[in-house]
Amino acid sequence: MIARVAVLLARPASTGVAASALPVTAFAIVTALLLIVVGGAQTFWTYDDDAGVLYQALAVIALALLVVPLVSLGGAAARLSARRRDDRLATLRLLGATPATVSALAVLESVVLALVGAVIGVAVYLAAVPLVGMIHFRDRPLEPYGVMLPWWVLGVVPFAIGALAAVSAVLGLRQVVISPLGVRTRQEAPRLHWVRLVVGVGVVALAFGLMSVLQVAPSVLFILGMLAVAFGGALAVLNLVGPWVIRLVASGQAKRAKTPERLIAARTVLESPKAAWRQVGGVAMASFMAVFAGTGVAVLEAMGSSGDAESALLLTDIRTGILITVVGSFLMVACSVGVNQAAGILDRGELYRSLGMLGMATSTMDAARRRAVMSPLRITAIGSAVTAAVVMLPLTGVTLIIAPVSLLVIAAVLAVGVGVVWLGLAATRPVLTRAATTTAG
Amino acid sequence: MSSYVIEAAGLSKSFGSTHALAGVDLAVRTGESLAIMGASGSGKTTLLHCLAGITRPDAGTVGFRSGTGRVEVTGLSERERSRLRREAFGFVFQQGLLIPELTAVENVALALMLNGMPRARAEEYGRGWLAALGLAGMEDRRIGQLSGGQAQRVAIARAQVTGAAVVFADEPTGALDSATSAEVMRALLDSTTGQGRTLVVVTHDAEVAARCSRIVDMRDGRIVGERVAA
Repeated sequence: MIARVAVLLARPASTGVAASALPVTAFAIVTALLLIVVGGAQTFWTYDDDAGVLYQALAVIALALLVVPLVSLGGAAARLSARRRDDRLATLRLLGATPATVSALAVLESVVLALVGAVIGVAVYLAAVPLVGMIHFRDRPLEPYGVMLPWWVLGVVPFAIGALAAVSAVLGLRQVVISPLGVRTRQEAPRLHWVRLVVGVGVVALAFGLMSVLQVAPSVLFILGMLAVAFGGALAVLNLVGPWVIRLVASGQAKRAKTPERLIAARTVLESPKAAWRQVGGVAMASFMAVFAGTGVAVLEAMGSSGDAESALLLTDIRTGILITVVGSFLMVACSVGVNQAAGILDRGELYRSLGMLGMATSTMDAARRRAVMSPLRITAIGSAVTAAVVMLPLTGVTLIIAPVSLLVIAAVLAVGVGVVWLGLAATRPVLTRAATTTAG
Repeated sequence: MSSYVIEAAGLSKSFGSTHALAGVDLAVRTGESLAIMGASGSGKTTLLHCLAGITRPDAGTVGFRSGTGRVEVTGLSERERSRLRREAFGFVFQQGLLIPELTAVENVALALMLNGMPRARAEEYGRGWLAALGLAGMEDRRIGQLSGGQAQRVAIARAQVTGAAVVFADEPTGALDSATSAEVMRALLDSTTGQGRTLVVVTHDAEVAARCSRIVDMRDGRIVGERVAA
């Protein structure tokens, strides 16, 4: 029965193809990026020398960093496909369908969209294999055969992505309760405690302390442990303090706002600073890592230019890995923002329509939602970069003097990343225009 | 000088093969409260949208007369019609449709800010309207913290704060119980016709319509009757 109703519901809705195309595109990008990264990294497991272990460890770290935005994107795409059919699912509730049936339908649809996206993603990966094969590690191209994954992996991945979509949809639906009348109530905006900041400053100070005494560490293992604590601790702090800082800044912006778009944007962020953080949190990790690792590599490279060729090669490779991870993170955050925005617009379609009737220009609505994403994004990207710079303070200072170009490259990569997210946002403008201008019959 | 604030002639509008309006003539007098009644699909909301310049009819004209002269609404561009709606008209919808993240006073002030008024002054006007509608002390509450009737009164304040000559209300009490509904209608009438302004209400509720000074009945996209309320 569920499958038959799902087929009926699959007919185009008034919200247009963009609402279906976005989650499919998002899942396609997730799949393609995942396969490209895993495909590229598999070469590292063929290295059987001492340095091989280091490459494998770095690949695992890069994959771990990509998992956060990947899961967040999967969840956003699943929520979008559930929202896309909100009205129809609510109608089904009125006709007597049980909440379980309605949930099953939403999950099924997410899974189907995910499967379609994943299959497209596999095709994109296959098309990208020759290009990825040209990337150099250890002074050798990876080669297409090195990047190519076994056929059975390509067969399994779409189903794994489908399963991820199912889990995300179930979790997402817990928050989007589809009542028979589709009525949602909102309570007071959550408040975040300043204690987060105190804990955060403490951990950053500890990380800074660890980095300052790095040179007196008794062994390499000890250094690695201290680096891991500083890196992991600072990242945890970002997650802890990020929403609090976003709320603080938005609160000031709401008080000072002089135009409708600034006021709406600030209030939107204040409605849920945690949601604003979740949307752009992936950037925090990428931005932090770019400065943390990028600075380290730049200093080592500048200081060790007379060192052995193998070390120089390792540093070049780490820089390549950082760039790939940062680009991947930003791409996923851009998709996540696009998908979240489309879901938000569909969720508030009637409100946007009514604002259009009141005479509010679509450009004003667009400016408000753009600002509501870009402002936390800027805070996140800059805040994370500054945190990393503080933790690495001695090295950041040294880099500024001996390798300023490296810092410029890092800044440029972050700026391009922010630009990519802006493009993801701009891609949803047609959905807003359509929602705002559709009038009742 | 004509006493009509809105004059519509020969309005037709189709959506695909559905004829929502089939040649409607209607004149709305300055300062009156007009109820447009009819079953679902009779074309009453489409008529309201055409009168307010939200939808452009396939045929026919809509004229709006203000202190500065007569404007052919149907001849205006999308941008000009948006401006007309912001400056001369007010709207109240069934669900209020207020911005949930904003406070009550910010929702009201927004209508003035869209016309370029500085925020502090806009909020001052907004507070005044909220107090006049019995919402003093609730200005800083968010919409989710208000009852349905209170939220609808915020929507009325938003529709009125710009000094709109005409307020269009689409099923303004459709989501309310009968006691709250009567309260909201009283607030709506007091703040419009009570101040010499004009109110056009789309409703299928006979009790709501009975409180207006004139009622027109619609069926199949045409006006099929007109009554003067008791």
